Amino acid sequence: MLGKRGHMIRLVGGGAGVNREPLVRDAIVIQGLTKTFGPKVAVDNLDMVVPTGSLCGFIGPNGAGKTTTIRMIMSILFPDRGQLSVLGKASALDSKDRIGYLPEERGLYRKMKVGAFLTYIARIKGVDPHGLTATIKTWLDRVELADVYRKKCEELSKGMQQKVQFVAAVLHKPELLILDEPFSGLDPVNTRLLRDLFNEQHAGGTTVIFSTHVLVQAEQLCDRIVMIHEGRKVLDSTMTQIRARFDPRTILVEVPDAAAGLEALRGRPGVHAVRPENGLLSVSLEDGADPQHMLRLIVGLVPALRVELKRPTLEDVFVQIVEDTGGRTDERQPGGGNGAAAPAVPARSGAP
Amino acid sequence: MKKVLVVAWREFLATAMTKAFLIGAVIIPLASMAMIPLIISLVANTKAPAIEGTLAVFDPTGKVVPEIAKRMTPEAIAKRHGEYQAHVKRAIGEKTQGIPLDAKSKAMAESSIETALGEAPRIKVETLNSDAKIEEEKATLRPQGPVPRGKGASRYEVPAPGARLALVVIDPNAVTPASGQADFGGFQLFVRPRLHDLILSDMRRVVEQSVLEARLRANGYDPAAIRALTTINAPETQEMTASGQRQSSEVFNMMIPFGFMLLLIMSTMVGSQALLTTTVEEKSTRVMEVLLSALSPMQLMAGKIIGQMAVGLTLMMLYGGLGVIGLVSFALLDLVSPVMVVYLLVFFLIAYCLIASIMAAVGSAVNDMREAQSLVGPILLVVVMMPYILWMPISRDPNSMLATVTSLIPPVSPFVMIVRLASTQPPPTWQVLLSIAVGFAAVYAFFWAAAKIFRVGVLMYGKPPNFRTLIKWVRMA
Repeated sequence: MLGKRGHMIRLVGGGAGVNREPLVRDAIVIQGLTKTFGPKVAVDNLDMVVPTGSLCGFIGPNGAGKTTTIRMIMSILFPDRGQLSVLGKASALDSKDRIGYLPEERGLYRKMKVGAFLTYIARIKGVDPHGLTATIKTWLDRVELADVYRKKCEELSKGMQQKVQFVAAVLHKPELLILDEPFSGLDPVNTRLLRDLFNEQHAGGTTVIFSTHVLVQAEQLCDRIVMIHEGRKVLDSTMTQIRARFDPRTILVEVPDAAAGLEALRGRPGVHAVRPENGLLSVSLEDGADPQHMLRLIVGLVPALRVELKRPTLEDVFVQIVEDTGGRTDERQPGGGNGAAAPAVPARSGAP
Repeated sequence: MKKVLVVAWREFLATAMTKAFLIGAVIIPLASMAMIPLIISLVANTKAPAIEGTLAVFDPTGKVVPEIAKRMTPEAIAKRHGEYQAHVKRAIGEKTQGIPLDAKSKAMAESSIETALGEAPRIKVETLNSDAKIEEEKATLRPQGPVPRGKGASRYEVPAPGARLALVVIDPNAVTPASGQADFGGFQLFVRPRLHDLILSDMRRVVEQSVLEARLRANGYDPAAIRALTTINAPETQEMTASGQRQSSEVFNMMIPFGFMLLLIMSTMVGSQALLTTTVEEKSTRVMEVLLSALSPMQLMAGKIIGQMAVGLTLMMLYGGLGVIGLVSFALLDLVSPVMVVYLLVFFLIAYCLIASIMAAVGSAVNDMREAQSLVGPILLVVVMMPYILWMPISRDPNSMLATVTSLIPPVSPFVMIVRLASTQPPPTWQVLLSIAVGFAAVYAFFWAAAKIFRVGVLMYGKPPNFRTLIKWVRMA
């Protein structure tokens, strides 16, 4: 396993240093991007920057405009307004061969053999046919599909097809890898395999962007998060900043006697509510209460076996933002106050 | 451009290198061509079974029976049989000079009388008395027992030797009209069910000739003299060519334009239909987005159109080649001038590009094949049916107003023009050039509109589009 992985890193890294154009600081820069479909505003005045070398999660609820944005980045759709630059070019059309793309709606030619399909995709991505077969076989081996080279695409299971698609997206050693919902429909084993491959690509210097609505994945993988909701950006930050910014407002306490603990803590100054949760007591704090102070207070009040600050998960952040912005959408006029959503962080501040 | 060619090559392989294509477009036509001599020899060698039986004749005139008996001797039957075979083979042989079947069939026709004697049916003529009851006689022909059915049952019955096969009832006025009247009578033929059709048709012909000959004799004519008077020996019309003379090719003068038109329609339609299918497939399997991440919609569309053009050209060369072989074997190759090959390619280019751009646009816009059919149906009806409808009037009069006007209206114009060019009165050069110019202008316009629809359509899913939506997309993009 180790040897295999070491080999892979060489394979990826081999492409990183050679034949690349001078690195631009930001792989993707988007300004005021707007796209409407009939009466529906799919993407509304979006600003976004993805620094080169980052592994960026693009999150949002279903129908938030993630796929539309990605298609505009890929120059598959064209924006009504706004500007974008991809790998330093005004359009992805000028750098298609340097971008790997795994679309949300995956497809293969049903009657085509896997090997022929991958060769074809690599060729239209401008890969030199010399030695291509060996590269494809290495990759198929890497995703544990060594024996499918001569099989027809229609003979593969859905998960296998998805892995073939992933190989198709990275065969040409892209500098920028854009994956739209890459984990949908995969079992845990293949999810882990794909996650390892992402990390390898990232470690090899590739900028990776992937969209998902499964937030645990984003949390585990990404160093940056961009979240959009109803076509507007509501969060753009590094994971560290998000954790720092979203103050823990809950303290978990483990006590020998839950009933007694509940009694002891309820109604104390600074405590908003106490409720039992999975054998622990979940103490939510009042606004303005200092968590450090409250920790000490709780230890003094009850015989605690364990006391911890509950770190907010991305899911908590997500739900909070959706609820916050959801309540405000009526007041906001098109074009105005997009970045005004409370948690938004200045775009560039989080660059590593 | 390199990418476009990669797309074109895949498109060609995906269409032309499939079992379905090889079987449907190559093997079946070739096999059916190979079948033709086989079928001809089967037809020519069909023989009546050597059954034995009687033909009952009720003849109130008394003049027809001897004539029938004269023609129903085994020798006479065998002779007619041999003449029939020889006739079939001669008819085929005339049309297939150079095909080896000819010499063989001549020899067969000559030897057939001797060989046929042993195999021909033997039919005895039985004369019924003048007081015979026709209904009772007819009843003897009804089948005895159930008719065998199902597997193994022959279409034809083999009656027991000596069984009555048929009954002929001659009208009393068949030979001479009743006094004071001008109309002649005739005869009625009743047969057993499932009697072999060659025996049946031979019997009918025999009775007809017998009645005719009885009438001639009754009026004092010599049948042999009449036959000699009414037979004219005139070989087929000969056409004087530069080097010699050959059989006139009136039929070919009509068929060659038709052949060219068919070749053009077929190669155009096969390629552009496949273009529609692959585009719809790419869209419905969602490969489209993967492709568009590597190619611009224009590169994709161009590649696909070029690839399928290669498919159409392959077919055209294949069938055109067969056509040339056919003309060579009929010794008629000089009916087609080599310039026609150039024209065929030019008009193929125009016709294919026009229809392919329609197909690309429709294929990109729809979600599945069913929607595609409902959109292209009306278009195809015009494009495919119009040339068929126009072929007759235009090849009759290649420079009529109808011909001139339709050869300037794309996408029908290439088909009309190729018919006119292949005809015996080719159109003036300025018309050909104008038609080509109009054709290419239309190709440009069609490509332009198709490109716009393609760009918008490839990623549109959901509501099936109609023509109004397509026009909207052209304006939008």
